[in-house]
Amino acid sequence: MATYDFLFSSLGLTEWCAEGKSDAPMSMAALLNKSKGTEADTPSLWEIPFPSMDALNDSCAAFPQSRDLTQGLEQGFLAVKDNLSIVLDPITQPLSWALDGALYGMITTPWWIVIPILLAVVLFVTKSWKLVGFVAGSLCLLAFIDYYEYAMQTLAIIFVCAFICVLLGVPIGIAMSRNNMMQRLTVPVLDMLQTLPPFVYLIPLIFLFSVTESKLYGIAIILYAIVPVIRMTNLGIRLVDLDVIEAANAFGMTSRQMLYKVQIPLALPNIMAGVNQTIMMSLAMVVIASLVSAPGLGVLVLQGIRNLELGVGLVAGLGIVILAVILDRVTKASLARINASQKQ
Amino acid sequence: MDRDIKISIRNLYKIFGPTPDVALEYVKQGMGKAELLEQHQHVLGLQDINVDIREGHVTVIMGLSGSGKSTLIRHLNRLIEPTAGEIQVDGENVLTFDEDQLRKLRREHMSMVFQKFALLPHKTVLENAGMALSVRGHKIEEFEAEAKKWIARVGLEGNEYQYPHQLSGGMQQRVGIARALASNSPVMLMDEAFSALDPLIRSDMQDLLLELQDELQKTIVFITHDLDESLKLADHLVILKEGYIVQQGEPQEILMHPNDPYIVNFISDINRARVLRVRSIMKKTTEAPDNVAGDIGERDNLESVIALSGGDTSLIYRVVRKGKQVGVLEVQDLFKALVPTESTEGDTRSHY
Repeated sequence: MATYDFLFSSLGLTEWCAEGKSDAPMSMAALLNKSKGTEADTPSLWEIPFPSMDALNDSCAAFPQSRDLTQGLEQGFLAVKDNLSIVLDPITQPLSWALDGALYGMITTPWWIVIPILLAVVLFVTKSWKLVGFVAGSLCLLAFIDYYEYAMQTLAIIFVCAFICVLLGVPIGIAMSRNNMMQRLTVPVLDMLQTLPPFVYLIPLIFLFSVTESKLYGIAIILYAIVPVIRMTNLGIRLVDLDVIEAANAFGMTSRQMLYKVQIPLALPNIMAGVNQTIMMSLAMVVIASLVSAPGLGVLVLQGIRNLELGVGLVAGLGIVILAVILDRVTKASLARINASQKQ
Repeated sequence: MDRDIKISIRNLYKIFGPTPDVALEYVKQGMGKAELLEQHQHVLGLQDINVDIREGHVTVIMGLSGSGKSTLIRHLNRLIEPTAGEIQVDGENVLTFDEDQLRKLRREHMSMVFQKFALLPHKTVLENAGMALSVRGHKIEEFEAEAKKWIARVGLEGNEYQYPHQLSGGMQQRVGIARALASNSPVMLMDEAFSALDPLIRSDMQDLLLELQDELQKTIVFITHDLDESLKLADHLVILKEGYIVQQGEPQEILMHPNDPYIVNFISDINRARVLRVRSIMKKTTEAPDNVAGDIGERDNLESVIALSGGDTSLIYRVVRKGKQVGVLEVQDLFKALVPTESTEGDTRSHY
């Protein structure tokens, strides 16, 4: 007899419990006991179990087990999944196109066009020849060890996802900064997105989208990486000097003029710091997303783990580090340029 | 109403707190600032303010920090909404304005200069000076000439393409003044405009303001906590204390006849000889006296007369305005006027 029998009998629920005593599969502990041929005795006080779902189920078969909870959640998700897909599929389809297009473009364009274009972009945003030299050296190194294609795939995914993060994140941040209610509602969502382990994003996404579609990992990366740009946009606009805001008001600026002529320009250093973080987090997630078929350096890391190819895994990891350093240096340098022009 | 009254503030109250309307009733029944805060957790910002601001005059609102002076000036362009009362600009009640009218008022009728300059850090001096015009929708090519004119007028020629952080505090405030002037508005609100500057530069800026005012005849509302500054600039002086007006009037008049110990306390520290002017203490007469030692102007301050007389108290001077005699000043009277005044009403505690 189980520990909590008295509870159900004292509540007069014995009959209700008996109704459920039919086809429920035997728990592992019960099975073991049965095979040992010893029915569990009433446990001593020392071994008294916590009244958990499983312990209560021992006493009353009608009481749900904890695996019913996870199963119920799964059933529920599967039930709404199809309807959800009808809505989400068309909305997210452009993401697939963008990712596939970017990957195709980056790979099919010859290296002697892609590398100069990337270097020109670096020069344009940082105005630093030193950095251009560093990036050129790093890319050539990756190309020399034949990791060029993987690195370009990773970069293409990061570019697309970071761009979409900024496209969505900045307006959300602005809305949060202008409306305290909006901020109160958004912050818990952001907290959750930031604290959920990155692998957890993948689980519901695998159910919702097919693994062959690129939007699957695109969405995972965007959800993970969008948080800093939203937070920093909100913070940056809220931190704009109140005296300047007052002056802008006193000269009769409309709220639109205020946003474009005062708030966004003055919040730009903070927004750029958020963009830097977003890009770095995209890079982190693109590696994990290789679990769900994201191409790039992450695939090699995964290969290293799965096939115990130590060399491949390590070199791919090094390649990721090089990409991270490039992206970080370039965005930080452009951030420093903005800061320099905005000293108070 | 007087034709030349530009802004008229009537029975203005401002109470900060969750239910200002309720608190207003208590204030009207005579509850004081401290009681209101203690019993109802509301802060009494302004209490029954009545001021007429004349066109073309400099009205100085003076008070210590916490007296409500910055709150008061922000009511004029409704950066702060009053709890009760009326503010009329050119006979129109500003409080009934909708958003568009209010924006028009701020864009075209009132410009403002701030204590902390509040320039746009990412814009050049030129763009900052033209801010009011760019807010009205003009392109930089259109306002460049106008902005440059005012930048030159405040003495910043050659700095047009620098950024605010490259300028000193005094120069930044010159940009602030150029910005206000370039808006071409008849009213200029100056919120402790010179308080953040060091004394020498402050004095320069005061001179600059007086010089500009001679030429432009704007209606200026100037906030300060500095008595010397207010006496130097004011045509009309309003003294605020804890949200109510202690005394207002012509500054010389206040100096000679303070009606509250608070003001006596205030003016006991100043150099009376420097701020008092001949016209406030002369005997008004057109009869020429005997033994005239010389002519002095009615706007001369007493310090210059003492210097002229060499300390001889027996001398008598003729006071002239545009070559005509308007009064007589005996140096003996001059020294009597330098004796610190006690309050003309209320208690007569001493202030040394």
